[in-house]
Amino acid sequence: MEIALAGNPNVGKSVIFSKLTGIGVISANYPGTTVEFYEGEAKLGEMIIDVVDLPGTYSLSGNTDEERVATDLLFSRRPDTVILVADASRLERSLVLLFELLESGYSVVVALNMYDLAKKAGLEIDVRGLEERLMTSAVPTVAIRDEGIDAVLQEAIRLRPKSGFRVRYDSHTEEIVSELVDMLDEREWPFPLRAVAVRILMGDRMIRKQAGDRVTSRADALAEKFEKQHHESIQAHIQRDRFGEAGRIADEVVSRISPAEKRRSSLSDLTIRPATGIPILLAVLAAVFLTLVFGGGLIEQALVGAYEELARGAFDNLKEGESPVVQGVLDGVYLSIEAMLAIVVPYILVFYIMLSILEDTGYLVRVVSLLDGIMHRIGLHGRAVIPMVVGYGCNVPAILATRAMGSKRERVILAVLITIAVPCSAQTAIIIGTVGNYAGVEWALLIFAVLMALLAVLGLVLHRAMRFEPSQLMLEIPELRRPTIRQTIGKTGIRIGEFLTIAFPLLLAGSIVLEILMAEGLLQKLVDPSEPFMTGVLGLPAITVVALVFGILRKEMALQMLMVLFGTSNLALAMTAHQMFVFALVMAIFMPCLAALAVLVKEFGVKSMVGITATSMLLAIAFGAVANLILGP
Amino acid sequence: MASEITEQYLKIIYNLTEDGGAAKTNDIAHALGVAPASVTQMIHKLAKQGQVTHEPYHGTTLSPKGRRIAKKIARKHRLLERFLSDMVGIETEAGHEQACKMEHALSAEAEEALCKMMNHPSTCPHGKRIPKCERAMTCEECSSEALKLSDIKEGRTATVSHLVSKNKEELCRILAMGFVPGARVTIEKRLPMGGPMIVNIKDTRIAIARTIGDVLRMVEDT
Repeated sequence: MEIALAGNPNVGKSVIFSKLTGIGVISANYPGTTVEFYEGEAKLGEMIIDVVDLPGTYSLSGNTDEERVATDLLFSRRPDTVILVADASRLERSLVLLFELLESGYSVVVALNMYDLAKKAGLEIDVRGLEERLMTSAVPTVAIRDEGIDAVLQEAIRLRPKSGFRVRYDSHTEEIVSELVDMLDEREWPFPLRAVAVRILMGDRMIRKQAGDRVTSRADALAEKFEKQHHESIQAHIQRDRFGEAGRIADEVVSRISPAEKRRSSLSDLTIRPATGIPILLAVLAAVFLTLVFGGGLIEQALVGAYEELARGAFDNLKEGESPVVQGVLDGVYLSIEAMLAIVVPYILVFYIMLSILEDTGYLVRVVSLLDGIMHRIGLHGRAVIPMVVGYGCNVPAILATRAMGSKRERVILAVLITIAVPCSAQTAIIIGTVGNYAGVEWALLIFAVLMALLAVLGLVLHRAMRFEPSQLMLEIPELRRPTIRQTIGKTGIRIGEFLTIAFPLLLAGSIVLEILMAEGLLQKLVDPSEPFMTGVLGLPAITVVALVFGILRKEMALQMLMVLFGTSNLALAMTAHQMFVFALVMAIFMPCLAALAVLVKEFGVKSMVGITATSMLLAIAFGAVANLILGP
Repeated sequence: MASEITEQYLKIIYNLTEDGGAAKTNDIAHALGVAPASVTQMIHKLAKQGQVTHEPYHGTTLSPKGRRIAKKIARKHRLLERFLSDMVGIETEAGHEQACKMEHALSAEAEEALCKMMNHPSTCPHGKRIPKCERAMTCEECSSEALKLSDIKEGRTATVSHLVSKNKEELCRILAMGFVPGARVTIEKRLPMGGPMIVNIKDTRIAIARTIGDVLRMVEDT
């Protein structure tokens, strides 16, 4: 038994999903898209029901990635029942999607979610009347309070005759549809030919491909004739008729029994009004940033401290009397676990929890809308703000967060900016720990300023070079609402799991290799050959090359490494202030750490990763060399 | 102001003489469903008023004065037919009968709005040409009188009249969000720096980039 959840965005679909399925949920990225969908199992008595949560869509016409994923999933999984999650307070909009599901012959149960909000708004819904008109079942639910969830599930597993409800389009469209239906063969299609014809007209790529040239070219000719005659596209007519029908049904079954309560939307409104929205946004961004940098730092110290206390001894015991290679492996394992503790829990986990809350409250879309105009000026769009802020904490979740961008090009541009020009907390630690401590705060600020300028210039250059128009914004802004703990935990869990599976194996392997190199003294052998370059070009002590290479594994270890290499914790004895400036600048731009590389590969492929890495190395060296030239020895 | 029955006669004669020639009395009688004798009587009356010219054994043609009235009423009739068939979904024949009654009550203002709303249709559902209106401008000029979404001020409400987009995917995305012809949109906020507009449509708030919004042509509420 398989059930699919369909619905518009922002109707509480994912809350219903998390209530239905509980644990054991997996997320999948649909091939070739940035669209995620979730799958899980619901239990009802002895029965186990597969539940797939389709991406939120407004239509099934296959005109956006989300719509394509939703239609593909419906097509390939053939769910026994589709639960259409509707926002009871805005029924009309959900009905349009319902019409499409019914037209395509799916057996549909309607969950009238947020029923409490509809009541609060003074609306009464004649549920029986709705069921009669649509010839299917409808169940009121309040997902966040667990109301009606079981009833929906019970209803969904019941066998019921398919609804015969169909939207009637205007007579000319109906003529075209029936002409196309006559050209199709019923045996070739798993759903009603009427739906096939309509979806061909609406431009559904999958259906058009399957229907073949003869039918689609006829459909296009008819649609063109239609447009000539009516001065309006057939798609507009079809959608208009659907909305018209939805409006009619909604008028008939929804009645206003009491005047609407004054919307409790003051905060909701303040967040999108620029005068108040921008200060609120700055406060939220500052809170996110500070939590990541300071909160994350505190958790990191505590965790790493505890880990060292607990595990150091055990590892030392294991290492005793073993060959350097085995010792290297053990060190590698030890350090990878430490790195994971130092990155995953304090930065990534904390960030994901915050991200999930910002998403689920509906705040994120407000930020995106608010900043869209400004960001367009520098070649990005509103959605880029979030990953950039995150990047100041850790690049890994920042790169993952670029998924919210529309196109792959925008994602790549943003990822480049983040990995190269946004210093993560570890890089910040290096800047503060060297330049800030020994050369003065103004020099540290100068580095940040250089990075900011680099960000802007790089953004403009990429914007020009890649010749793309940032995708245009069109998204729904839901009312602010309270996120559920369960949803937050669920989402965070899935994302952490995803991160661990990419980052940990690579970090482990990388650490082991690096430790073996160290144990064999191979890394130190780099020092002499690199001297002309390190000293000649960058003006740095040759031995710092070890710290640079080590920085690939863990950037914040580079500082400790430097102290170990120089044999003193007072770096001023080993390097001049100018050298520190060059070193910190190079480290801040230099190639991303291994975990970030792994995410880059996962998200964009090896080619893009190599490109980004090479660019960052070249830029780091160029900036270092120029700084060295300007500052002198 | 011509009486309803006069309008009806002039329209029928217009229909019958559209492709040239003169209208036969029998054809007029058939189209109106009345006896040829009463047609003859009416034609004489109209000829006396200078609306038509009647030549025995040849037929009836419209005078310039009659043609003007007939054109106006034929235009209303065919626009209404288009409306009843496309927007209301009434069968063509039933639509014709109702349009015959409604055409006489339709004001010039409503006619203009109807034409705009349906984006200046050129033919009726039977394929007959809809006569142009008497405004001294082309349909394109008339269309561009419709505002773009970004022309509308904060706090105002407007109705989508039609959509102008070459990109079918973009068009479908916009339509799916509920921006269909006839939908009412309230501008809640215009975000600065060329940012998106926050609009309310069917109780849903949507942030829509100005460039996308300009696919929509709007008629502002008065």
